[in-house]
Amino acid sequence: MTSKYDLTQRIAPQLDRHLVFPLLEFLQERGMYPEEDILKAKIELLNNTNMVDYAMDIHKSLYRSEDVPQEMVERRAEVVGRLKALEEAAAPLVTFLQNPNAVQELRADQQHNLRMLNDRYQIGQEQIEALYQYAKFQFECGNYSGAADYLYQYRALCTNTERSLSALWGKLAAEILMQNWDIALDELNSLKEIIDSKSFSSPMNQVQSRIWLMHWSLFIFFNHDNGRTLIIDLFNQDKYLNAIQTNAPHLLRYLATAFIVNKRRRPQFKEFIKVIQQEQCSYKDPITEFLACVYVNYDFDGAHKKMKECEEAILNDPFLGKRVEEGNFATVPLRDEFLENARLFIFETYCRIHQRIEMSVLAEKLNLNYEEAERWIVNLIRTSKLEAKIDSKTGTIVMEPNHTNVYEQLIDHTKSLSGRTYKLVSQLLEHAQPQTAR
Amino acid sequence: MASRFWTQGGDSDTEEEESDYDEQEETVAVETTTATAASRYYSGNASDSDDSDGQKRVVRRVKDKRFDEMSATVDQMKNAMKINDWVSLQESFEKINKQLGKVMRVTESDKPPNLYIKALVMLEDFLNQALANKEAKKKMSSSNAKALNSMKQKLKKNNKLYEDLINQCREKPELFEEKVEDEQEPEDEDDEEDEDDDFDEDPATLESEESEEEEEAGKDESGLGWEKMLSKKDKMMDKQFKDPSQITWDTVNKKFKEIVAARGKKGTGRMELVEQLTFLTRVAKTPAQKLEILFSVISAQFDVNPSLSGHMPINVWKQCVQNLLVILDILTQYSNIVVDDMVEPDENETQKGADFDGTIRIWGNLVAFLERVDVEYFKSLQVIDPHTREYVERLKDEPMFLVLAQNVQEYLERVGDYKGASKVALKRVELVYYKPQEVYDAMRKLAEQDNGGEESGDETKAVEESRGPPAFVATPELVPRKPTFPENSRTLMDILVSLIYKYGDERTKARAMLCDIYHHAILDEFSTSRDLLLMSHLQDSVQHMDISTQILFNRAMAQLGLCAFRVGLVTESHSCLSELYSAGRVKELLAQGVSQSRYHEKTPEQERLERRRQMPYHMHINLELLEAVHLICAMLLEVPNMAANGHDAKRKVISKNFRRLLEVSERQTFTGPPENVRDHVMAATRALRQGDFEKSFAVIKSLDVWRLLRNKDNVLEMLKAKIKEEALRTYLFTYSSSYDSISLDHLSKMFDLSDAQTRSIVSKMMINEELHASWDQPTGCIVFHDVEHTRLQALAFHLTEKLTILAETNERAIEARIGGGGLDGLPLRRKDGQDYAGAAASGGGGGRWQEFSFSQGRQGSSGGRTGGGRGSGFLGGGGFSRDRQARSGRYQSSRHQDGPGRVYGAGSAARGGQMDGSTRMVNLRS
Repeated sequence: MTSKYDLTQRIAPQLDRHLVFPLLEFLQERGMYPEEDILKAKIELLNNTNMVDYAMDIHKSLYRSEDVPQEMVERRAEVVGRLKALEEAAAPLVTFLQNPNAVQELRADQQHNLRMLNDRYQIGQEQIEALYQYAKFQFECGNYSGAADYLYQYRALCTNTERSLSALWGKLAAEILMQNWDIALDELNSLKEIIDSKSFSSPMNQVQSRIWLMHWSLFIFFNHDNGRTLIIDLFNQDKYLNAIQTNAPHLLRYLATAFIVNKRRRPQFKEFIKVIQQEQCSYKDPITEFLACVYVNYDFDGAHKKMKECEEAILNDPFLGKRVEEGNFATVPLRDEFLENARLFIFETYCRIHQRIEMSVLAEKLNLNYEEAERWIVNLIRTSKLEAKIDSKTGTIVMEPNHTNVYEQLIDHTKSLSGRTYKLVSQLLEHAQPQTAR
Repeated sequence: MASRFWTQGGDSDTEEEESDYDEQEETVAVETTTATAASRYYSGNASDSDDSDGQKRVVRRVKDKRFDEMSATVDQMKNAMKINDWVSLQESFEKINKQLGKVMRVTESDKPPNLYIKALVMLEDFLNQALANKEAKKKMSSSNAKALNSMKQKLKKNNKLYEDLINQCREKPELFEEKVEDEQEPEDEDDEEDEDDDFDEDPATLESEESEEEEEAGKDESGLGWEKMLSKKDKMMDKQFKDPSQITWDTVNKKFKEIVAARGKKGTGRMELVEQLTFLTRVAKTPAQKLEILFSVISAQFDVNPSLSGHMPINVWKQCVQNLLVILDILTQYSNIVVDDMVEPDENETQKGADFDGTIRIWGNLVAFLERVDVEYFKSLQVIDPHTREYVERLKDEPMFLVLAQNVQEYLERVGDYKGASKVALKRVELVYYKPQEVYDAMRKLAEQDNGGEESGDETKAVEESRGPPAFVATPELVPRKPTFPENSRTLMDILVSLIYKYGDERTKARAMLCDIYHHAILDEFSTSRDLLLMSHLQDSVQHMDISTQILFNRAMAQLGLCAFRVGLVTESHSCLSELYSAGRVKELLAQGVSQSRYHEKTPEQERLERRRQMPYHMHINLELLEAVHLICAMLLEVPNMAANGHDAKRKVISKNFRRLLEVSERQTFTGPPENVRDHVMAATRALRQGDFEKSFAVIKSLDVWRLLRNKDNVLEMLKAKIKEEALRTYLFTYSSSYDSISLDHLSKMFDLSDAQTRSIVSKMMINEELHASWDQPTGCIVFHDVEHTRLQALAFHLTEKLTILAETNERAIEARIGGGGLDGLPLRRKDGQDYAGAAASGGGGGRWQEFSFSQGRQGSSGGRTGGGRGSGFLGGGGFSRDRQARSGRYQSSRHQDGPGRVYGAGSAARGGQMDGSTRMVNLRS
């Protein structure tokens, strides 16, 4: 199998340990790498988390034995011990939070809450801090929902902005892992606001945070219904695009895919093509190359070839190649969409520079048979997406000449002038009246 | 003839005098010590004169007369002294000298009369008194002061002759009192006068003597090493320090202070100073003291060459480097010694011995020394004629400096002075950045070979040292004397540059960045190099930097342009280079020679400054190659552009420089075969405009600058492809109106291109709306649409445009009256309009016209048309050209133009947000 277009290695360093699991699962499923390697990678990954039981399971399946290395056992004991300790430390606050009556006493005013907790429940900064540690530990253990809850509450009480930020990151990761895409999206947006507004100690940190944010957001955008629009909104902002160009050009793949798949053509698309052109030397994969073929070199045969590579790349990408089970066969919805749109891209550009095209050539270019191609084009013409006629005798499509009439152009030019002048005059009069009235 | 003879005579005279002077001095020294011998001499003399007295009674009266005259003059002098009148005193002095001659002739003796000697003594005392009294001296009239000064000199000169007698007189005035009459005179008048003449030349001869001494010292040193040069004082010192057991820290320290105090004073030979200090380093008692003295040695060595434009003698330079290495040795050996230039250390800091535990502070600044060494090296390369062997020899010293720099850097890093280390790293970078891999390899090899030679040198040095007194503080060579170079120049650059980015200050970082850009460009990594330039925003800030950095910037831009050309990016290359050529002062901008400006003369001061910042020859960028690349790029862009705008050639000019040259060459009645680069490109242009790509390429290929390129064949191949492409485009632009359709095959064959290439090129033209045509797929033809505007239509468009501008002006006028916010409804349009106004103002206004009409058309008629591609295509056309402008704007921004004041319109990038400024400089490479 080809792992040529696999980005896991480049993406993984920008993710949380726990977020890498889904990627590894996917790779395992695709069978791109030997199973053993992936299992080893997983253990490696788990070593620094508290999910010791899981690590043990993997170890067993990897070496097909019941023995578990001693250090894992030790680590387990240690983890359990620490869990206990943390639980105890955070206990007062947790019990408070679990009491619905007590929670109702909390108000929007943070100072008030803190004072109240301190006075009535003897819960001070140490306990709140303990809550954070406890939540973090829960997350490390893989108890994401618990962690998410605690972090949410911690944020309400937390006064330290630095801590609050990392709590937010933790919350986001937990939500992503629980696949609560809507909530995760909210968290993502609030995190983005903080990153954009906060004055970071160094610009370097800010860029790094942006890159993390973008990587994490991939999970959300390719699972959320509206993600494909949102990803363009996020990634195509200047600041984020800069970050991509500087440190993570591989993200261009996702942005490019989003642009292709997105139905609405956007004005930013042209700008984006330029970015791709610029970054050709630092990053390229079939998808960006496809765009370059269609919009930079006008090499339609090349684009055609690239489409096939794109398909492969999409299938092997953990984000793009998400499968949907439908009855007894799985489809990759994004692939189908991508191919459809890519075809349209080629066709559009192709038509723009041709006067007459043979139907059979077109069919071949579009990967369709003659009948299908004809139907497709008739549809386009009917929905007035294309101004053309089919000459069925010779089997060609004839484009209508599309030159705007000179007179039309002139009229366009001057049409607005009268409107502007009227507006001008009325403004002048409006302005003049109060003066004369005085 | 006579005059020459005279001067010669004078010269020899003065020389004799000098030698006389020396002898006298010595004899004086001897006589002061042996006073008894002198008195004996006196008594003998006295009896002699007694004898003569007896013999010459006959002429007594004449003699008396003469003596009377003389004593009268002495009285006059006394009077003059009382009123402090130096003018009359001078006259009397001259008179007494003449009288002296007469008296001596009369008495026929070889000894001046006592009266005369007494007068001299008196005069001298008074002179000293007058000189000592500064205030009185100030009050004197100018003529009086002048007389005093000339008296001072004359007297000094004159008194030398009678030095011994004067001394006797001072010691035993009574002796002279008695024998006033009995004195005889030793010399005749002519001699005396001769001497008087010589006085004027005196200062000059004194100086020449000094320089002679220096030269001699220099010769000696270059010839036979150290021990031969022990001059008088050295000998004295040798004597002083003969016995090693007697030398204490104190004696060395005292002598050291003494020598340092003499520094800079008149009459102290600079080389001599260096030698004395060098000697002292050998007898220094503690490492710290040795260090202190070594620092002084180095400073003294820097002083050897006093002028700003000249350079330090090469052998001194080498010694200086060696001394610095020894310093490093000591510093490495005794890690408790700290070199610092911030605090003044204690007087006796250096007394602490090698076994002292605490930190010892020594005043000194290694970085400054190193930078100075570098400057001297650079200067020597500037001065030496690059076509001589000397230059090559000098270049071979580079590894030596690199070793030193490397060691200093390592030391500073060890000590934790990263700021200094980054400065030193920059020096290393500046020696490496312009070297392509081949040159770098050669340098590495040289450095390795050098090691063999150096070892033998060390041996001889060891021998020498053993001859002199053994050094008290032996310094083993701890620091490596051989540079270690990484395999690849890029690796070296990366290491150094990342250190600088981390710790350097603004200027250091900027320079390192430019060197980095330059080096990447040499290695054909255009995109990296371009990204560095854009990210660092250097082109915005460079005009605020010092001139040498601006030159470096220009060099980097030139190299970037060459690099872009090599990888086939013609547009980029052109935008890099066009600015350099816009003012026709490439040489000046690159500091590769002084260009004569026709319009304004430079002051000598300016010229000197300019000469001082010239690049040494081996760092030059070949100007012919640069010009060829620039003109070829301009040709490739300009020829199709001219063809496209055939009816209105002045409308859109890409390269003014190229247009001007073309005009000049077209104006010629006869065109001969091309001679220089310019002619070649012009000939190629003529061919290209005809669509004759083969001839065009052949002419360009015949340029002999191509041999300077490493991958010449690839570049020429690329060039050929480009020329073909542009020829095709030119052809289509020029002749499309004559065709209804052209077949693809025909075109491909005509321009020797593959079908796919032709198709791609033509498609691009179609999409960019440069060519009004479309493909007919079944037949493989290009069908041209007839969309040329008629004259009337074109005029109508002009009219509408003017109307738009008018409306726009009205709006703005109203806005100004009513105030802002009044035109809420029209913000977008207004923005458009301003563009047009701007375009119109910049002449013609046609440039924007097409873009405008298309986008307008799109807006107006989008109802019926939906196939997104079409609309986007239109915009795309505009977008591309805009991008081009933006790019060039970014590149060209601004540049050093000989001094401050001239700031080029800095075009801000269209995609200004490309990199957010603050972030970039920092996160580049860390």
